[in-house]
Amino acid sequence: MVGGVPYGVKLLSVVLVAAIAIFMLVPLMVVIGSSVSASEFLVFPPRGLSLRWYGEVLQSDAYLSAAKTSVQLALVTVVVSVAIGTSAAIALTMFRFPGGSFLSALFLSPLILPSLIFAIGLLMVFSAYADGPSFTGLVVGHVVITLPYVIRTVSAALADMDPHLDEASRMMGASWWQRYLLVILPQCRTGMAAGAFFVFNISFDDAVVALFMRAPDVETLPMRIYSSLEFSPDPSVAAVSTIMIGITIVLVLVLNRVFGLARIM
Amino acid sequence: MKQASSRLGEPAALITPGLIFLVLAFFFPALNMLSLSVIGPAADGGGFTLEHYAKFFTDDYYAGVALRTFRLSIIITVTCVLIGFPLALIMSRSPGWVRSVLIMLVILPLMTSVVIRTFGWLVILGPGGLISWVLETAGLVGNQISLMHTESGIVIAMVQVLLPFQVLTVLGSLNRVGPELEEASRVMGAGFFQTIRLVSLPLSIPGIVSGSLLVFALSISSFITPSLVGGVRLPVMAGSIYQQVTGSFDWGFAAALSVLLLGATLVLVIPYLFVSRSGRR
Repeated sequence: MVGGVPYGVKLLSVVLVAAIAIFMLVPLMVVIGSSVSASEFLVFPPRGLSLRWYGEVLQSDAYLSAAKTSVQLALVTVVVSVAIGTSAAIALTMFRFPGGSFLSALFLSPLILPSLIFAIGLLMVFSAYADGPSFTGLVVGHVVITLPYVIRTVSAALADMDPHLDEASRMMGASWWQRYLLVILPQCRTGMAAGAFFVFNISFDDAVVALFMRAPDVETLPMRIYSSLEFSPDPSVAAVSTIMIGITIVLVLVLNRVFGLARIM
Repeated sequence: MKQASSRLGEPAALITPGLIFLVLAFFFPALNMLSLSVIGPAADGGGFTLEHYAKFFTDDYYAGVALRTFRLSIIITVTCVLIGFPLALIMSRSPGWVRSVLIMLVILPLMTSVVIRTFGWLVILGPGGLISWVLETAGLVGNQISLMHTESGIVIAMVQVLLPFQVLTVLGSLNRVGPELEEASRVMGAGFFQTIRLVSLPLSIPGIVSGSLLVFALSISSFITPSLVGGVRLPVMAGSIYQQVTGSFDWGFAAALSVLLLGATLVLVIPYLFVSRSGRR
């Protein structure tokens, strides 16, 4: 900035940023710190250093089956959400048709409506018209809350595309499947991949839709963590949470490396 | 960019699966909930009734719950605005690598499960937790203290959960403006604070408004953090709805509470859409 920033303001900014950084990160740090505690209880500062809680988690059937459910759920959600979202994003970005901007707003609306309200509505529908909540119900719920992310990332990727490419392929006599397979979908690839990372992360982390759509035989990791927090959490919850934080860090770093977080947020 | 296609078949085919899915899985549940909220118990024939809404407006308990939810959401939103604006301003006017680090700082917690972040806050706020330990070690308090089951505890944890939404929205509007106007203002002789007050702040008003509407809407409907930190002693709207659905099985009343919450959200979301759209031009 011309004229410079006053020295006091610079100092104050550094202090402010440091304070916010601590505030934002301390909950994660505390969880990671508690996971290596040797004691039976969650206390601060942790007493002793031990990896025993990781051992307990890896031998616990409850956690392992919840982890399996979570991964399956996230993967199925990724496939469905990316497929539906990509085709809708192509329609909304590449074509001009009546009601297009209204439909865009419609597809992004799950982003701003609280997932809690939507989850209750879905639970009521599944209880009245299906056999109650189920794995399928959870997939449906997660596809709805993740669809806007796929539409946003794929639309952003298509906005960078040279519009003449599709036109050229059309004029050169490409059939519809040649156009999609060789021209349009390759252009969507980065957007689809970024969308898939978001979808996986959101579905893997979600507890709100999962808690309302709770089926007797389906338990995901966030549901398991929530119920143990309601009663008496021990450091094994911290160990599971630390593993999940690790997965999130990897996803965020990959997203940032490949697409640039500043561009897609 | 867009083709003014005379053939509507192609976009129609592309958009239909998504549209059918959204109608069945998103709009139909919302309408179904609306109708459940005005239908009486099956035992009484299941006719039209406003008893669920009447229950909400006549029971002091629910008035208290709604008031607490509203009050906490206001405090959380104001705190997010006060912290979020300076942070977004610093981020947008920092050199590249600092900005990347700060964006990471905001996004990493955002992408971590709310359950896990709340778990962290339980360990910090609880008896024998981090805050208690720090204050005890510093000799400021004699006994263990706990911010669990307090409204301050809920606010602290919720601000951490929702701050990224505020910061990212304000950052978006600051990035659209760019630093040139601020530079011009300084060249013309305005001081640093004068420039912030007369240039940067007014230009980021759309971002601040849409960010705080978003934070408020998310805050009145948030469930995980208030339930775990506040517990049963400090119920909020979302927690009461969960209680009705899973504990009392009074779905008509749960639907009515949800419709009221949805109404309150829509009142906020429609201006949000309006402000964020006009800010983009």
